[in-house]
Amino acid sequence: MITRRGFLKGSGLALFGVGLMGGIPGFLAEAAARDKRLMLYKGKRVLVCIFQRGAMDGLMAVTPFSDTWLQAARPGLSLPAVAGGRGSSLIDLDGRWGLHPGLKAFEPLFREGRLGIVHGIGSPNNTRSHFDAQDYMESGTPFNKGTASGWLNRAVGLLGHDTLTPFTAVSLTPALPRSFYGEHPTVAISNLQDFAIQLKGNPAGANVAAKSFEELYDQTSPGLLHNAGKESFEAMKLLQQADLRNYVPANGAVYPNSPLGNSLRQIAQLIKMDVGLEVAFTESNGWDTHFNQGTDNGIFARNVADLSNSIAAFWRDLDANQDYVTVMTMTEFGRTVHQNGTGGTDHGRGSCNFILGNNVAGGKVYGNVPELAMENLEDGRDLPVTTDFRSVFSAVADAHLRISDDKVLFPDWVGSKAGVMKVG
Amino acid sequence: MKVVIKMAAVVLAAMGGYFLLSGFMAVPVSPHVLSGTRIPPLYHFPYRQAGLTERQAAAHLLSRFTYGARPGEVDAVVQMGLESWFARQLEASLPDDSVDRRLTQYDALTLTNEEVANTYPRNGQVLRMAIRDGVIDKDSVKVDRAAYRDVLQNYMQEKGYKREQELFRQFCCQKMLRAAYSENQLLEVMTDFWFNHFNVSITKNDCAEFIPAYERDVIRPNALGRFNELLLKTAKSPAMLYYLDNFISSAPVQNDTSAQRARGLNENYAREVMELHTLGVDGGYTQQDVTEAARVLTGWGVYPIGEFAKAGRAAQLNRWTDEQIARRGFVHDGDFFFNANRHDKGEKVVLGHVFPAGGGYQEGVDLLNMLAHQPATAKFISRKIAVRFVSDDPPASLIDRMAKTFMERNGDIRQVLITMVSAPEFWSPLALREKTKSPFEVAIGAVRALNGDIRQPMPLYNWVTRMGEKEYYYMAPTGYPDRGTYWINTGSLLNRMNFGLALAEGQIPGLQINLLALNNGHEPESAEAALQVYGRILLPERDLTATEKRVGPMLYDKGLAETVGIIIGSPEFQRR
Repeated sequence: MITRRGFLKGSGLALFGVGLMGGIPGFLAEAAARDKRLMLYKGKRVLVCIFQRGAMDGLMAVTPFSDTWLQAARPGLSLPAVAGGRGSSLIDLDGRWGLHPGLKAFEPLFREGRLGIVHGIGSPNNTRSHFDAQDYMESGTPFNKGTASGWLNRAVGLLGHDTLTPFTAVSLTPALPRSFYGEHPTVAISNLQDFAIQLKGNPAGANVAAKSFEELYDQTSPGLLHNAGKESFEAMKLLQQADLRNYVPANGAVYPNSPLGNSLRQIAQLIKMDVGLEVAFTESNGWDTHFNQGTDNGIFARNVADLSNSIAAFWRDLDANQDYVTVMTMTEFGRTVHQNGTGGTDHGRGSCNFILGNNVAGGKVYGNVPELAMENLEDGRDLPVTTDFRSVFSAVADAHLRISDDKVLFPDWVGSKAGVMKVG
Repeated sequence: MKVVIKMAAVVLAAMGGYFLLSGFMAVPVSPHVLSGTRIPPLYHFPYRQAGLTERQAAAHLLSRFTYGARPGEVDAVVQMGLESWFARQLEASLPDDSVDRRLTQYDALTLTNEEVANTYPRNGQVLRMAIRDGVIDKDSVKVDRAAYRDVLQNYMQEKGYKREQELFRQFCCQKMLRAAYSENQLLEVMTDFWFNHFNVSITKNDCAEFIPAYERDVIRPNALGRFNELLLKTAKSPAMLYYLDNFISSAPVQNDTSAQRARGLNENYAREVMELHTLGVDGGYTQQDVTEAARVLTGWGVYPIGEFAKAGRAAQLNRWTDEQIARRGFVHDGDFFFNANRHDKGEKVVLGHVFPAGGGYQEGVDLLNMLAHQPATAKFISRKIAVRFVSDDPPASLIDRMAKTFMERNGDIRQVLITMVSAPEFWSPLALREKTKSPFEVAIGAVRALNGDIRQPMPLYNWVTRMGEKEYYYMAPTGYPDRGTYWINTGSLLNRMNFGLALAEGQIPGLQINLLALNNGHEPESAEAALQVYGRILLPERDLTATEKRVGPMLYDKGLAETVGIIIGSPEFQRR
């Protein structure tokens, strides 16, 4: 039986055992500082980031329902604040903000104080290009295109310990996201079951091939291929122990059968397998609602329902692990206050994001959203960005992953952290 | 030394004009002539001093300057002479019938940007055009999505429009096919190198449709030319102008209230041209230099491309004759357009060089030329080339020598390559097998080694993506990092092994492999024999005794395909 201790095998550090992780001798710390060692670190704190690509209409997700300017700007895209009419109404959170009915799975989490919302969040760079805005948000440097690394990769580098596992940072996406670019090892995989040697229609052949590969990588000269080979096979065996295919979520949690639901289900599996996951990433697509955005039905409603139901199922499934996990959503920008000529909204500025966790100072809509009169809008058309995304991301990284070096995490950023997390 | 070269030149010139001189290097006009007469070039590769046999040296050469050796190619290179083979690759004019034939099925590859824009309009554009043409009522868009999709589809068909995705598919396919089948392998490798150096990305909508022409007209024809020309042409290409936003950069506009169009200086291109394209991040420039360079490059933009764009902005431009355009200080050169009205006409200082007030288009050209000829650029580019072809951490002595050539030969890329291959560091044991193949190199290398027949390239392209390299979709202007530690990690390594198995077992659709044909139709008698035969084909001139000993017995009753798959997934095949 392979255990997490398997990662220690063959490493010089094995002699010192797990207990010494906190106080590594100087000579080892020096070596580790140059290149973190790949072995088990029982991280027990996981940040899960969900990128909503396409730019979510924050004003429709979380609506300032008594703002008459907004109602006037969106005659065809408004939901009633009070139930009673045809179709569903907004969920009144606090007398000012209304949650889109598709987000009803968020309501209890908000009422329990676990879910916080930041409104008017965005980038100081006013680009309205999806590409540029995503690029800037994921690199974490809104005015610098050439930043080679992503902010989550830098976060991995700043984790306050000297070891990593192959699963420290996992993106449940087909390709490595911009947030993960960089020096520190990260993995992109769309399906955990692919983490195996596969030979279609010939499992016995796959076994022999796996053994042969393991031999070859074991015998090859010391270095990159040797080490990565060793880690790969240990990681593979670790995953094979878990019955990935027949996974039953805890507490009767039901994930939507959607890409996001599947990704979050697999992230929950990794967390429960205790393989040292600390940073997880996945994405949700389809938020670019220029046409036919819909109100209580339609594209937007389907998207938010998928988002909230996936996250709520994930939370339920985490069960006893909830204390270790924080979920944060992000989107590149918001959408115009006015509806456009095709039943949708165009590229705007500020949007909102959701942060879920037991250490979140939740139950509150943060931010500084003005009355949406023309003169208060950015460029006369958009919800202004009043909270720099970096002040929220760094607050969450600090409180949850204990990462406080903002100079590295968000170079060029001068500002204070948003108070969205519990103190202490 | 100089005398020798001159004399040789005279001799060559006297040989009936079969050769012309490019710089100081003799290159054959027609490679056919060379293949018969075998005139060696004027440089020698010092592989014997490094203790390599000619065959080993040929295998090394092939592993670095091609996408992998095909069966029998080591012999062919030895027979031709290593230096002659390299000279032909530098000339890059070998007939390419086989690849040309394979590319005929892709009708988008020869289109100009104008034709692309008129044939493959962006999705959003189609809808706007349909509304403009009255085919779709903009209020009906809300009501019935399915019906509106049908109408849109009919509209596209009527107009002869095709989906943008099809353009990108063809473009990705051509990359696979050229890499696998072109005779001019070095040209393909260098095209890949420079594309990655001057990276643009299909993920950015604004530039995506112009990327096929960018590779075809800007990168490939200059991949073995002069660096300053390559730099200038990338700077003027729509793909780069849109990718790094320089098209929008203008002198600050007073009293501008238009919210739609961001006006003013945009430094993105100016910063990256210094940091990533020329000087390098430690190249000795300041933020002030970046801002000043951005001012020099204001007004550089794109001439409206395609009917849709022309209908908007170009109406007035079209009324002007070229002469009128020139008189106003505007420049219209292909898809490039310099808009003098947007240009910052004040004085600028970049790297201590003063660009006096009142300048126009030419000062941008001068700036790029200046950047292309900086010693920091020579070093930065030389190092990057050495990282591509020698090792992830090439010795300083080699970089210095290459940079010296770069400076002395006016950024002649061929000469820099010759200096590199003529240096002992290229042949040193520290360099052999030191590079880790990228996923693309693994995939194409395996196909070439096994004489694979790619009928449909996309499944193979998707495997390359799974292994971690989605060609043309890397978001950042840095391009893919060129080092083993980037490519090799836990997840990607398993995918490489699975790729080997899938390929050899014939489980990649659209790709045909005939393993027996590679062994004259014979089935090897044992797993050991199979390892030997196919190991030599896939990994020529490598010592595989350890592999044979360790794995041979395990594969006792396994099939030939599985054995071949294991060689492709083995650590040795990941090295080049």
